[in-house]
Amino acid sequence: MYRFLDHTGELALEIEAGSPEEVLAQALEALAEVIRTDDLGAPTTREVEVESSDRETLLADWLSELVFLADTEGFVPERVCSLELADAKLRATVEGRLGRPSPLVKAVTYHGLELGRKGDGYYARVVFDV
Amino acid sequence: MATTLVSSSMSELVQIEEVLWEIPASARPDMRVPARVFADRELLEAIARDESLVQLQNVATLPGVVGAALAMPDIHQGYGFPVGGVAAMELPDGVVSPGGVGYDINCGVRLLALPVSEPELGARREALVHEISRTVPAGAGKESPLFHVDLDRVLREGSQAIGSGEDIERTESRGCLPGADPAAVSERAKARGRGQVGTMGSGNHFVEVQYVDRVFDSEAARVFGLAEKQVTVLIHSGSRGLGHQVCTDYVRRMDAAMQRHGIRLPDRQLACAPASSPEGQSYLAAMAAAANFAWANRQGIADAVRRAVARALGASVARGTRQVYDVAHNVAKVEEYDGRRVLVHRKGATRAFPAGSTDIPEEYRPVGQPVFIPGSMGTASYVLVGAPGSMVKSFGTTCHGAGRMLSRTAARKRIGGNELRRELEARGIVVRCPSPRGLAEEAPFAYKDVERVVDVVERAGLARRVARLVPIGVVKG
Repeated sequence: MYRFLDHTGELALEIEAGSPEEVLAQALEALAEVIRTDDLGAPTTREVEVESSDRETLLADWLSELVFLADTEGFVPERVCSLELADAKLRATVEGRLGRPSPLVKAVTYHGLELGRKGDGYYARVVFDV
Repeated sequence: MATTLVSSSMSELVQIEEVLWEIPASARPDMRVPARVFADRELLEAIARDESLVQLQNVATLPGVVGAALAMPDIHQGYGFPVGGVAAMELPDGVVSPGGVGYDINCGVRLLALPVSEPELGARREALVHEISRTVPAGAGKESPLFHVDLDRVLREGSQAIGSGEDIERTESRGCLPGADPAAVSERAKARGRGQVGTMGSGNHFVEVQYVDRVFDSEAARVFGLAEKQVTVLIHSGSRGLGHQVCTDYVRRMDAAMQRHGIRLPDRQLACAPASSPEGQSYLAAMAAAANFAWANRQGIADAVRRAVARALGASVARGTRQVYDVAHNVAKVEEYDGRRVLVHRKGATRAFPAGSTDIPEEYRPVGQPVFIPGSMGTASYVLVGAPGSMVKSFGTTCHGAGRMLSRTAARKRIGGNELRRELEARGIVVRCPSPRGLAEEAPFAYKDVERVVDVVERAGLARRVARLVPIGVVKG
């Protein structure tokens, strides 16, 4: 489950999920909600590999990678097909469509970045620069 | 007499001048210098409602920061640095922070003055706005004449790579920051920037057609080539995807190097490194390249505006369209104050050098540097001129805009894009924007009152009003 929070100049995203993998998948869906437009083409997939210093940094860097694909290839992600996560490294196959995504999200910040256990599940927070 | 203002988030704010407030360095053990805010009481109350002041105090903890961490009256909460923040770091070993410049490196504004008055433009204004919306691309496209421009040359030379003459002379740093190195810019950043020179982008970026509705300082207006009723075009854009990726790359790199440099910070987004370190030097070379990209970008947009002017109003009007100036809002620059070389970070703030400065065009030295303060969409913008107070109080800096007050979501909840378009058009403003959502997010009520912001910087002696510009057409990406 994810939701966007009011933040005067930027867009903050909060995620609650059962596992870190699910946090990463939810983060992708949240980003997709923001950048998706009606102008979408054929389905396609992208392989994504990211390695970071720790899990929470990995969340921001994973989203940065998706912003990069949107900006350079017009790739609008739709869902995670497979995701292997080991420590702070991930390898994923992402399904999406080529199109003209909204350039609303300029970058993903480390401001107030969180990913950790909360109760029985996981909680994450990340702020987009828009 | 010093008075203390108690607010929900800030109990140690002390009034030290009529429109200057200070949180002393003693407020937190990690603050190295005080945090100061230029504001009147009403703006201060708005500022205290979000996290801006805590973020400003965080900036005051950065190694090498001198004087005070400063906030302009248009400050609002950012990530790491507040937007509207200024911090000067002592060189050579004070830090440079990519977040202190921001993702949109050298986001800035350029003002063009047309040789026609608003009555002369008359009914042709719709054609002018329409031509601008057709000619200035929002995003990359092969139809753009700059699509195949040599990117490394743009990164090295800035607007000098595509512009010439008066346009260059009338641009901050002549449109080219020294020390730019294309090799310091990642291939990923170049991939995001390729094809984007001369494109507007989205968000709060725009091209606005306006006219001078009031002149406050007739001498400065004359020197800047502005007269009452004169039609102007204000261009607001930055370094596009290239700048965003440069910032992303270097926040990541510095975040990873902080432990090695023994730096501990209250917010990871402030990630920084000594300016003299390999990471610091590399970022400064990449930032200069991105700043140059932004100047070339605004040059490309200005050239496109002139083509639109030629089509709508004729070739002689296009030839007579002159650049007033171009200023950066997000950049770090080496400057000297009191004989001390410092690296001034301006994030959502404008350089505002006074009369006599050798860093501004010779023709403007008798009055000072022009500064442009865009209002929110549909409201007035201001032309200011740098005043001597900026050199003693704010590292040669003034405000940059109205300053956001409401989040984008909150703005959208209050008005629909189509409703806002009708409202603006009812006030005689021609609107061209493909996205009703993007339009609603920039609704005027989402911003602070630009008049009040400008009033504060004038009372503080940072800059003076020269002219007020009111919009007659808005083109957004």
